[in-house]
Amino acid sequence: MTKSTLCTPAEHLHRRSFLKGTLLTGTGLTVANFGNLFGSKALAAETQKQKKRCILLWMNGGASQLDTFDMKPGRPTGGPFRPIPSKVDGLEVCEYLPKMAKIADKLAVIRSMKTQSPGHPDGIYHMHTCYKMSERTPHPEIGAVIAKYCGNMDADLPSFVRMGPTGNTGPGYLGPDYSPFSIKRDGKLPNFANGGVKPEVEERRTELYRFLEEEFAKSHAAEPFENHRLSKERAWRLMRAKEAFSLGDDWEKQKDRYGDTNFGRGCFQALKLIEEGVPFVEVGHDNYDSHANNFVCHKANMQQLDPAWSSLLIDLDQRGMLEDTLVVWMGEVGRTPKINNRAGRDHYVKAWTIALSGGGIQGGQVYGKTDEDGREVTEDPVSEGDLFATIYKSLGINHRKKHYWGQRPVWLTPEGSKPLDKLFA
Amino acid sequence: MLVSCFCLATLVLGSTLAGKEKASIRGVIDREISATWKKKELKAAAPATEAAFLRRAYLDLVGMVPTYAEARAFLDDEDKDKRAKLVDQLLADERHARHQAEIWDLIFFTRNPANPSATRKRGRFQEWLRKQFKENVPWDALVQKILLAEEEGSAMFHVQYRNKPEDETVALNRIFLGTQLQCARCHDHPYEERTQRDFYGMAGFLVRLSVREEKQGKDRVWRIEEKSSGEVLFTGAAAEAQPGQKGEPVSPKFLGGEELEEPELPEDFKEPDYKKLKEAWPKPVFSRKQKLTEWLTSAKNPFFTKAIVNRVWAQLMGRGMVHPVDDLNPENEASHPALLEALTQWFVEQKYDLRALMREIVLSDAYSLASAGEDTTAFPKWYDRARVRPLSAEELIASLRVATGFDEAVGKDAKMPSSASSYMLKIFGKPNDGQGRFQGGVDEHLFLNNGSQLRGMIRSKEGNLSHLLLNDEAPWEERMDRLFLSTLTRYPTDSERKKFTAYVTSNEKPQETLEESIWALLTSSQFRFNH
Repeated sequence: MTKSTLCTPAEHLHRRSFLKGTLLTGTGLTVANFGNLFGSKALAAETQKQKKRCILLWMNGGASQLDTFDMKPGRPTGGPFRPIPSKVDGLEVCEYLPKMAKIADKLAVIRSMKTQSPGHPDGIYHMHTCYKMSERTPHPEIGAVIAKYCGNMDADLPSFVRMGPTGNTGPGYLGPDYSPFSIKRDGKLPNFANGGVKPEVEERRTELYRFLEEEFAKSHAAEPFENHRLSKERAWRLMRAKEAFSLGDDWEKQKDRYGDTNFGRGCFQALKLIEEGVPFVEVGHDNYDSHANNFVCHKANMQQLDPAWSSLLIDLDQRGMLEDTLVVWMGEVGRTPKINNRAGRDHYVKAWTIALSGGGIQGGQVYGKTDEDGREVTEDPVSEGDLFATIYKSLGINHRKKHYWGQRPVWLTPEGSKPLDKLFA
Repeated sequence: MLVSCFCLATLVLGSTLAGKEKASIRGVIDREISATWKKKELKAAAPATEAAFLRRAYLDLVGMVPTYAEARAFLDDEDKDKRAKLVDQLLADERHARHQAEIWDLIFFTRNPANPSATRKRGRFQEWLRKQFKENVPWDALVQKILLAEEEGSAMFHVQYRNKPEDETVALNRIFLGTQLQCARCHDHPYEERTQRDFYGMAGFLVRLSVREEKQGKDRVWRIEEKSSGEVLFTGAAAEAQPGQKGEPVSPKFLGGEELEEPELPEDFKEPDYKKLKEAWPKPVFSRKQKLTEWLTSAKNPFFTKAIVNRVWAQLMGRGMVHPVDDLNPENEASHPALLEALTQWFVEQKYDLRALMREIVLSDAYSLASAGEDTTAFPKWYDRARVRPLSAEELIASLRVATGFDEAVGKDAKMPSSASSYMLKIFGKPNDGQGRFQGGVDEHLFLNNGSQLRGMIRSKEGNLSHLLLNDEAPWEERMDRLFLSTLTRYPTDSERKKFTAYVTSNEKPQETLEESIWALLTSSQFRFNH
């Protein structure tokens, strides 16, 4: 019989021993040290910050490749936008991405995405897990995988933070330990993270709660009880560390650069969280699903996207963090080359574009090619699995890592997925 | 012990458990389970207290904790047979049907159903399912009804897999036969005797089904129709498939059995123009759906009965004798093969009576063990201690209502604020990692710790728990009985009584400290789990 390897005893012991600043009572029950609980930043300083990180800029609805990084000027599929030269030869970008054009040497643009799920729910699932939704195996989304392999359960902050329109596939077979922690679309904390009662009430009722747990733990050793208590400790730690979510004056200074929008603020929040050691942050941007008025919609979106994305890359670079931080720009689908009779573009998965920066990816390159109208990939098609294998490689995660769903083996990427080695520096 | 094991083996092998010689199945359960303890040299936990049994049985059979009055009635009852009485009463309770329907609805659809635009709102199906459990429709008949989908409201299972016979093949096998076929969809199975042909042979039974939508006023009503022609196409191993490749048709074949014998269609047969049909479609010339249903739900099917017995066992005992419950295969040996076999036979003899099966399991000694002990596993494989499972989101919501006296204060069947319910379904909906290992997320604690919803339920309102306790004239020490029985379904220990009394009375306004006490009890791990 195949044995589950999801949680080895060693891993478990490790996790328990993480709770520094807690006391072990005679019965083995962990009780947080009270001074710490409501004291200063608690464990943050001790947190061993993980090196590899990832920011996913999620273009919800599916951004148009033909109006951003794979333009077809003069062709019937080209649309009205003009391309402008970028810092990279052979990479012209849309006139509404002037700031990105200036730092295009940080970008690796993949023009040859060829994927399988053309709808929103299945596309969002597929592009977050690299598996088809219809399989019904609960695959974890990419943030959960990165939280598991690059995160640190000892940290006060959660390992997977998301904001804005992004879908919510969840941790699947990895379990709630790797659940996304969703904050508001402008990067502010959800209501539940703010204490509901006065600190002195919190303190006294917590003491009562702990008394009850300790009494019970004297006779009940089953692991779920302990997991319940540990999660509660983690919730309290998060509440203590929540100033990481308050941007304060910093934002006032930066908002002109990033753009004073939810997405702009979200990108700056992502930078701050990555600096604090959070390994994965996803920022969603609405709404690219331009079945009608594609060009009005994309022009408006790019004017928010351009300052936020470029400032994020520049700031990561200036802090020396870009090397270890992979920034992924993608959505669930591309858009049709054909412009429909409502001046819209519909969903298209046969040939579309995503972009990567940092994380060991060599900037200033274009990978793959489409034909003159952008209808087919003519060179180096890239599947969902290949893209994820590339992302995992950048983060030092074995993309063929085997897990178990029940008894059945299941891998992080489907059989045959290969990282795009040419992209790496 | 040796003798009893031997007896069991004879019983099972002989399979002629006729008349008075027939051992009660509960006796078989107890003997088989304790035999493995002896063999493995395990010391079983002590029997559960009456209070622990009471809470467990309520959660398992009606999906919520008992009220204070229900708890008192049981604990004060001096009848020797009170457990059997209680179990019969709970199985007949309307809440039992509701709870079972919730459990199975979730198995059928999961929290994220396929074809969501049709399946997300499935009140009619849920209502139909409740009715089946209320009438204790035998399991084989219930599955037949789901597959034939001819009753009003019963169609939703198929609707989920509209135009996806391959997906439905996977689901049917997993849910009703406890077997895993999805690997065979793309390649011949590496270590089981399942080929891609087997897979597509099964899908062939479903390929002719069609989902038809009717509008009834504001409602969408779903009908399952069946064509007389159409085949599944098979293209070979997925890894070698070419885009645009046309497959060859595959005839329906029973899994691990024969090809379906099927009359040829008349030569001049033409399918009606379905698009033009406004009403129900004509019956197919030959119904594959009918044949599949008969084969799948037959007592001769080697998986059908075993799968349900194992699932019900797991529902109550925490872990299937075959674990996980949807992976019956020769490589995955049952922990108690003889017992599973005996229960399977017995269940056929009982004509698939689900309540009878639950009754026997719940009244067995193994079910009635304490959850205390040094073993840390959540679901002990040898059943030597009670399992510890998290309450489902639905059980948690219902139990919080019972414990806080929500309905007494707001009025019977009052709705929870919908925001609270939807938050809780979201936050508590998936409490484990798919292998049964509980990992309460941080979200659930933030919600319980900080959310206004739970505080709102606890806050004193005429008729609820806080209000009753505050207006009780008895000394606080005595009022602790009601506090603990309402929340944890047990009396407080001496030190708990002392501590909680001191806590409540430490404040000039005991309302605040009382509400905080209730909060501590309801967010504790003892409340979070069925143990």
